[in-house]
Amino acid sequence: MRSFLRGRQGRTLAGLGLAMVLVMPAAAPVLAADPVTLRVGSTQDLDSLNPYSTLLVVGYDAFQLTYNLLVDFGPDLEPVPGFADKWERAADGKSWSFHIRDGMTWSDGTPATAADACFSWQLGIDAINSKAGIGSLGAGYLDPGLDEAKVTAVECPDDSTMIVSTEDSSERVLQTYMPIIPKHIWGNETFETIGDAKFDAPLVGTGPYTVAEWQTGQFARFVRNESYWGNQAYPDEIVIQFFKSADPMIQALKAGEIDYARGGNAAQFDDLKSDPNIVTVAGAANGWTQLAFNTYGTGTGKTIEDGGPSTTALLDPAFRRALVMAVDHQTLVDRVLGGYGEVGTTIVPPVLTQWHVEPTNPLPYDPAAAIAALEAAGYPTDANGNRLDKDGKKIKLRMYFPGSDDNYPKVAQFIQEWYKALGIELSAERRGSATLGELVLPPEAGKKYNADYDIELWGWAWGIDPGGALGVFTCDSIGNSSDSQYCNPKFDELQQAQFDAATNEERHAILAEAQNLIYDEAPYDILYYDANLDAYRTDKFAGWQNQPTANGTPLFTYGTLGYTLLTDPNAVVATPEPSAGASAAAPSDAPTASATAAPAASGDGGGDTSSTSDSTPILIVIGLLIIAAIVVAYGMSRRRKASDEDDDDE
Amino acid sequence: MTGSADFVPTGRSLRAERWRLRVRGAREFAGQFASRRDGLIGLAILSAFTLMALSPDLFVGAKETVVSATGTRLEPPSAAHILGADELGRDILNLTVHGARISMSIGLMATAITIVVGTSIGVAAGFLGSWTDSGLMRVTDFFLVLPTFVLAIVLAPVILDIIGPEAEFLGLRATLLVIVVVIGITSWATTARIIRSQTLSIRERMFVDRARVIGSGSGHIMRRHIFPNVVNLIVAQAVITFAAAVFIETSLAFIGLGDPFAPSWGQLLESAQSAGAPGLGAWWYIAPPATCVVLVVLSFTLVGNALDDILNPKAQVRR
Amino acid sequence: MSGRYIVQKIAQAIVTIIAIVLLNFLLFRMMPGSPERILLRNPYLTQEKVEQVRADWGLDKPLFPDQFVGYVKATAAGDLGYSLQFRGQSVVDVIESHFWPTMLLLIPAEVIAIIVGLTAGSYAGWRRGSGGDKVASGTSLILYSMPYFVIGMPLIIIFAAGLGWFPTSGMTTPGLSSASFLTQLFDFLRHLVLPLAAISLGLIGGYSIIMRSAIIETRSEDYVTTARAKGLKDRRVLRQHAFPNAMLPMVTIIAIQLGYVVAGAITAEVVFNWPGLGTLTVDALETRDYPVLQGVFLLLSVTVVVANLGADLIYGRLDPRVRS
Repeated sequence: MRSFLRGRQGRTLAGLGLAMVLVMPAAAPVLAADPVTLRVGSTQDLDSLNPYSTLLVVGYDAFQLTYNLLVDFGPDLEPVPGFADKWERAADGKSWSFHIRDGMTWSDGTPATAADACFSWQLGIDAINSKAGIGSLGAGYLDPGLDEAKVTAVECPDDSTMIVSTEDSSERVLQTYMPIIPKHIWGNETFETIGDAKFDAPLVGTGPYTVAEWQTGQFARFVRNESYWGNQAYPDEIVIQFFKSADPMIQALKAGEIDYARGGNAAQFDDLKSDPNIVTVAGAANGWTQLAFNTYGTGTGKTIEDGGPSTTALLDPAFRRALVMAVDHQTLVDRVLGGYGEVGTTIVPPVLTQWHVEPTNPLPYDPAAAIAALEAAGYPTDANGNRLDKDGKKIKLRMYFPGSDDNYPKVAQFIQEWYKALGIELSAERRGSATLGELVLPPEAGKKYNADYDIELWGWAWGIDPGGALGVFTCDSIGNSSDSQYCNPKFDELQQAQFDAATNEERHAILAEAQNLIYDEAPYDILYYDANLDAYRTDKFAGWQNQPTANGTPLFTYGTLGYTLLTDPNAVVATPEPSAGASAAAPSDAPTASATAAPAASGDGGGDTSSTSDSTPILIVIGLLIIAAIVVAYGMSRRRKASDEDDDDE
Repeated sequence: MTGSADFVPTGRSLRAERWRLRVRGAREFAGQFASRRDGLIGLAILSAFTLMALSPDLFVGAKETVVSATGTRLEPPSAAHILGADELGRDILNLTVHGARISMSIGLMATAITIVVGTSIGVAAGFLGSWTDSGLMRVTDFFLVLPTFVLAIVLAPVILDIIGPEAEFLGLRATLLVIVVVIGITSWATTARIIRSQTLSIRERMFVDRARVIGSGSGHIMRRHIFPNVVNLIVAQAVITFAAAVFIETSLAFIGLGDPFAPSWGQLLESAQSAGAPGLGAWWYIAPPATCVVLVVLSFTLVGNALDDILNPKAQVRR
Repeated sequence: MSGRYIVQKIAQAIVTIIAIVLLNFLLFRMMPGSPERILLRNPYLTQEKVEQVRADWGLDKPLFPDQFVGYVKATAAGDLGYSLQFRGQSVVDVIESHFWPTMLLLIPAEVIAIIVGLTAGSYAGWRRGSGGDKVASGTSLILYSMPYFVIGMPLIIIFAAGLGWFPTSGMTTPGLSSASFLTQLFDFLRHLVLPLAAISLGLIGGYSIIMRSAIIETRSEDYVTTARAKGLKDRRVLRQHAFPNAMLPMVTIIAIQLGYVVAGAITAEVVFNWPGLGTLTVDALETRDYPVLQGVFLLLSVTVVVANLGADLIYGRLDPRVRS
């Protein structure tokens, strides 16, 4: 009995071993046939493939790969042909005629025409004209662009012409972010329903790639659109991989499992610089991180029962300016951001070089001056060194921040210390984004809201037009997007005037005035302009191009230019099998290194970064599983045998 | 037994007798405990951490703030910073030692809630019996069945809303109080079960009947007769609960429910994770808090097991 | 096992599940922050739009009876609503796509842990006080004191970041989805090793400790003493008498434990970026994706209830005393 059992185990082992030997080399030719895949890592988790519904940068890249914009963005964000290949402006400047490409088809073979473009833009126009108003198209991020461009109507007299009428003569119509989706698929949807429409992979588009597969929380895979009107790009496939945190993504980049990574922190970014195959890019983000002071009542004199700012001092620009002076913005950039980012000043980020101005009257870090300013403005300290407001009340500020950014609690700890130097106690608490979004709402948004906070630490990211950033300081925005509750008719005038400005020079002057006004009044303390820390490998793909050239990043920008410019770094060698590079090995290695079956012996050198395909671990796992299986089998047969013997014993 | 003494109506001699019994019991207990090497080792580790929690300044000076930090970003261990520095340049040793107070006060308070709630429900259910018992035990079973950790995750924001962001208790900020309450709510059921079964057996004993005969009310009997007899069990259970509480707190903080302004060990590990320490090989950021967690949980488990064996009358026949 | 016992246990389980559904409804209506506000971080959103979203989601109706009846009806029909984070995806779909990765990780982890844990535990218990026992028990206690992520972090530092043997995280290498099945399988196995090790080690500690005391207990029972007195070999006594009898309580404990393992593995999934229910839960917590949280909570609670029911029934079958 026992010997039989042993014999059986022996055979099983041998059998499995044989299977393994057969299996390992079998994997080799398959790998070689892999398509060229660009693997992009993102710490953002794709939320939706629906262009009208996504809220994330990664969602924008996903839909832009599939769908074209009417007019695309060039290397320096200048307008370049997209769905329309040329356009002209009518003499009065208030009407544009776009010519839609001839012979263009959707990826399913259906002709792509002006009717598709008109359908897509009309969704936005309908939303703006609806009762719910601007922001009612899906999540509400796309239709405001049409409004900023003052688009009033679109019309498509024939298949290759789209006429866009605008209220004014600005050129903002050329930077309108509105994807063109196929009417023959989505034609039954309206602006009210499209946001909830199921955009399931695979999708039909005219972009360079179309999404083929999306595994929520894991990856989205895009395949090259063979009927794309532009140049066929080098990668056959693009996979955007979602990571829950930056650390594994950075490791994957180092190991060559991905080719591009967005979202590492400064320490990881610095660490990557030592890798010769990796290039790091710190791109300027079109946004900032701010302290928003609750100035409820400014300009209106209103107060909130059981809510609003805890001290009247927050309504005083002099007080707020002192708080700005107490903060060492450079230290925040150095210590929290590791030097990647820029000291914050005005409300148009410097990445928009054409519009950003530095403040005329800067407020440099100077704790002594801040204290002097507070004393002068009528905020003395009591015997214990606590700062008092004009009602003689001790000033104790409450700050809230969302849990969405690891840097916020760090920033908060610095601010606490710096305010403490002024004699002001600052409490800081983390809140969920949704909770915080509600917490800062005033009664204007509904009876149950009371804006019961003093400072909100959060950030904004903006579109390509500087006008957007001004929107959160208008009187109208109180009750929806305003988190400072700031209201100043003078500013509202400027905000309107910059949209109506006839020329760019005029607009620049107005924007400069608006930026200085907010800086001087300080409803916000803009702490820093964030940086996007991206990194990419150069061993599998060449042709990485920053967009904009001066301070952008290759991917996750505006449009999909970066994806289409990629080339084969070994193009000169012209290997017959381009897919060799698809293994994670460095090019200097034998292309088939990953596929070599030779198990343990060659696998021992697994310390370097190209060890991804080392087969030793697999063997270990399989070995463990086999051992486990044997133990189970052995144990069970022993049990059976044991019970047999038991009978004998009794 | 203390039970028979209850029948003596005069206070003074009774108290003296009780006291004598207690001293003798304590001596006996100390002797038994001293023979348990695992318990003693646990106790030694535990005392060290308790000292650390009580006066961290004694060991490493005042807690470092972002402004007073002297290290550089993720600085490796050196003479100046024996265990290196975190991503803001703060000394890890300093943070870890100061973390002891946070982790252990959370553990202590959560244990207190667990034990108070669990004991009250257990004693009430076991003593009162009938529908009170079955009602309370339904609730207890319900809580036993709920996946604690997920419930804790779900409860945290609700409780934060209820107790309010400004709440503070014994120096613990709202975020940490939430963790305390969450652990308490999700872990009292086990204690209640154990205490109930002990109460059931005590109820059957003579002295309770006698007390009832002389007209003592239920509340009085529970306080004066049942409770003293389950106190041993409670002590053992408390020590084990403490280990569990520190364990859960670490996990909750790690997934982002901790307080970055008052970092417990779990919070330090969360910071390490989000700073990318594992991938950057910054072991000095991970090893100290992780070791502390393991040592504290381990030592409490050791002490708890030893106590359980000595104090729990049912320890031998447990299933 | 009497029919009455079975009916009673099943009835209890059903009542518990109803209570869970109730709690699930109440809990998530008490959550601060209206869910529609998560979509609000938009400077252009008007009050009308917010109201419209509320109406679409039925949030403008009173809690009782409208919202509650709607909720119970939908839940009974298997409709858990739509995810807020993954817009347009139903909660059932989102949970399903995260469910299998968790199973792929936990089932092998359980198997390994049961085999190793019970073996180590019974050895230690049988040789109580020996050097082997001390090593095994000590190791088990230490493992038992470590949250999964505390086991996982050093594994990553040593075997992934340091030696580079295994990937640091994730379940697959990006972009392999078009490769052959075998390539994908091997890739998956490489990713599986470390998280599997972390969870198995964590479970082994607990199982081994419980098994040890179960064996110690059986060791002193009459039939074992008798068997030894009969001169049966020590090993055989362990294998034939003590082990099977110690397994009796173990089966129950393991069955109950199964329900909790999913929840317990959350931190391990987070550390290894494993795309399972654990990371889904933490993500949903961060984005306040209440429908998904609610769905996960319901799923896990019901799993535990069912696992408990299973344990009760198994126990009833195995132990004749329960019948009375």
